[in-house]
Amino acid sequence: MIAAVNGRRAAWTALLLWAAPLASAAENLDGAVRELAGKTVLLAGAGTPVSVSCRNASSLDSSDVARLRAAFEKMLQQAGGHAGQGATAVDVSLTLSENATDYLLVEEAGKGDERTVWIAAWKRAATGQAVVAGVGLEKKLAWEQEEQILDLAISGDAMLVLAPSRITLLARSVDRWEPRQSVRLKPPAPWPRDLRGRLRLSAPGFQAFLPGLACQGAIAPELSLDCRPGDQPWMLASGSRAPLAANFAPGRNYFDGRVATTTGVARSAPPFFSAAAVEDRASTYWLLALADGHAELFDANFNPLAPMPAWGSDLAGIDGRCGAATQVLATRAGDANEPDAIQSWALADRTAAPLTAPILFPGPVTALWAAGPDSALAVVRNPSSGKYEAYVVTLACGS
Amino acid sequence: MLTKTTESLWGRMTSCARPRGCPANRRACRLSLGTQLGKLPHAVCVFLICSSLPAAERPRYGGTLRIEIHASIETADPPQLGPGMPDLAPAFAITRWEAGRRAAYAADENAPGGRPFLDAVEVELARPPRDQAIDLDVGKAEMIEIPPGEARRQPPGRRTWVSQPVRVLLLDFGARVDDPRAREALALAVDRTAIFNVLLQRQGEISGALLPQWLSGYAFVFNAASDAAKARGLAAAVPAPARSFSIGVEDAALRPIAERIALNARDAGLAVSLAPQAGAADVRLLEVRIAAADPAHALAAIAATLGLAAPPRADSADALYNAERELLDGFRVVPLFHLADVYGVAARVKGGPGISPLGQWRLENVWLEGARP
Repeated sequence: MIAAVNGRRAAWTALLLWAAPLASAAENLDGAVRELAGKTVLLAGAGTPVSVSCRNASSLDSSDVARLRAAFEKMLQQAGGHAGQGATAVDVSLTLSENATDYLLVEEAGKGDERTVWIAAWKRAATGQAVVAGVGLEKKLAWEQEEQILDLAISGDAMLVLAPSRITLLARSVDRWEPRQSVRLKPPAPWPRDLRGRLRLSAPGFQAFLPGLACQGAIAPELSLDCRPGDQPWMLASGSRAPLAANFAPGRNYFDGRVATTTGVARSAPPFFSAAAVEDRASTYWLLALADGHAELFDANFNPLAPMPAWGSDLAGIDGRCGAATQVLATRAGDANEPDAIQSWALADRTAAPLTAPILFPGPVTALWAAGPDSALAVVRNPSSGKYEAYVVTLACGS
Repeated sequence: MLTKTTESLWGRMTSCARPRGCPANRRACRLSLGTQLGKLPHAVCVFLICSSLPAAERPRYGGTLRIEIHASIETADPPQLGPGMPDLAPAFAITRWEAGRRAAYAADENAPGGRPFLDAVEVELARPPRDQAIDLDVGKAEMIEIPPGEARRQPPGRRTWVSQPVRVLLLDFGARVDDPRAREALALAVDRTAIFNVLLQRQGEISGALLPQWLSGYAFVFNAASDAAKARGLAAAVPAPARSFSIGVEDAALRPIAERIALNARDAGLAVSLAPQAGAADVRLLEVRIAAADPAHALAAIAATLGLAAPPRADSADALYNAERELLDGFRVVPLFHLADVYGVAARVKGGPGISPLGQWRLENVWLEGARP
């Protein structure tokens, strides 16, 4: 619809230009008006006044109805007819309508006992969605695409996008990213329904973790990828703190609870969706969004300590440039089909306290990963556009 | 730290004696739900605390979704076509079929798009709407049908999944009513507004079109207003024998509407009686389902269902309108209402809606709160 709305001014300007012959199918509103006005003049005859009424049964702006009437009457005039009242007038009722794919201009014309219906249709365009600025947290749209984005990593002027079917390398070109190369992924088994994936930059290359598939890749001199079936632990980062190696449950959407720190010590935790390391009074703690729906605080040995607020299932640990030294970003609890929010929290005396107001997103957050020491990558499914949008989320100090 | 909501509910919790066996920790309290609730002396307090904790948003695996439907499907084999159970394939495979009673489906590990989150779906057939509502309330079902007349009588806060209006309620005249004036007289006699307000509880849409407005965009063009005077005039011009015919319904739930139509008809001078069997009736009140999201395909499917001539191929809205108008010319078929599929859903069902705009079951992306991985 945005394209239609954006194009509306131009379209209505174009109405003033009556030059093209009648089209069999309208391309937009002005085309529809021109098409129906021409048919109306043929029905009424040049000398018969046409009485026009309009209504809106569509999601288009109601102010369009007033402009529709003026434009239709002008088109009548340019086609050789004229608008007016009178006993002999042809009554025309115009309705702006819509169905799932098209906007419709429906004309019901009555001349004596004769009643005629004409319909002109033009395609609906996808709508856009304005970005809402947050307070305390900032988000910046990095990339959007039709296919689900599992993770995204930026390294200088290169960006990698991990999707269910491929990894794509993009290069920065002035103020935009342009796809350069992509490599298809070959899953060893059908992907799980709630597919998750993780990219980890490890100079000079990168690692990609997917359920049942572990990949090593390089971006120079060209994008290359070596994937092997297997359940290699995923490396979960939390700001500048040591990552956690966690086993992903095969065919599922959570980690099975088998974890290991970088010292190689294996630990066991309940199954969890996401993990973030945080510091409090010089001690390291782990926050886990458990697969049973709760968030819980664990000590460094993964012994449970305290329940956490009712967060969503995605957490990411980052370093705080302001506020607390370490922070955790958490999605909002709720249904996966609802608009989501991310909020920053800090740990004090084993209690989570909010640091910022929630930053809102147009749809559910489908992935949230730590993306660097002080930023996270949030992927949102925008229900308006149907696209997946990847945002870099950072703390906005002093806002 | 407790959230504000939890604190206020916690206050309620402490205002009554803490139930034995329910730990002070609210999470432990939540975990006790379902396993200990029946033993707790202050279950309401526990329920309020527990229900205040929202679910994590990422889907959870496991659990069985229990569905109850009104239809009693007596076929030897489970249905393969039509809405509802056939929609479960290929994500779920049937594991048990008891004709007229119940069906059970299990998740297919190799389903396209990945294994469903649910382990299983169980469908209980032939459940009266009142029993369905009770079962949803007491937790014996997670998904039930809500008939049109009941949709507005649901308790506050009940979750529903509602499709687009996909069921066309119409009158289908048989060959015996061969005078088009008699058919038009009945079409004009039906007081759709009264039926809509009273019997349908204002659910759905009044329409004179086969294709609903959301699908075609022009349904409003077809006349759906009653005109008793014109109906009487038409009926009076029809020979007396042709003014008398029977109306039948295949679904007993439609009988009150048929009775009201018969009353309207009598007001117009037609003698319409209810037939004991729909098959023998001169005119049938029936539902036809929108079977495709493409309006041209949907219209062709309706025509085929009703035994009408196949509409010409329509490649524009204008052509489609003309095709639909031709199907309705002569009043062999008289559309009355477009109704939606409405399902009541338990709060623990997440990830919905579990139905498509066409009312097809889409349960592969649904999961249950409280299911354990």
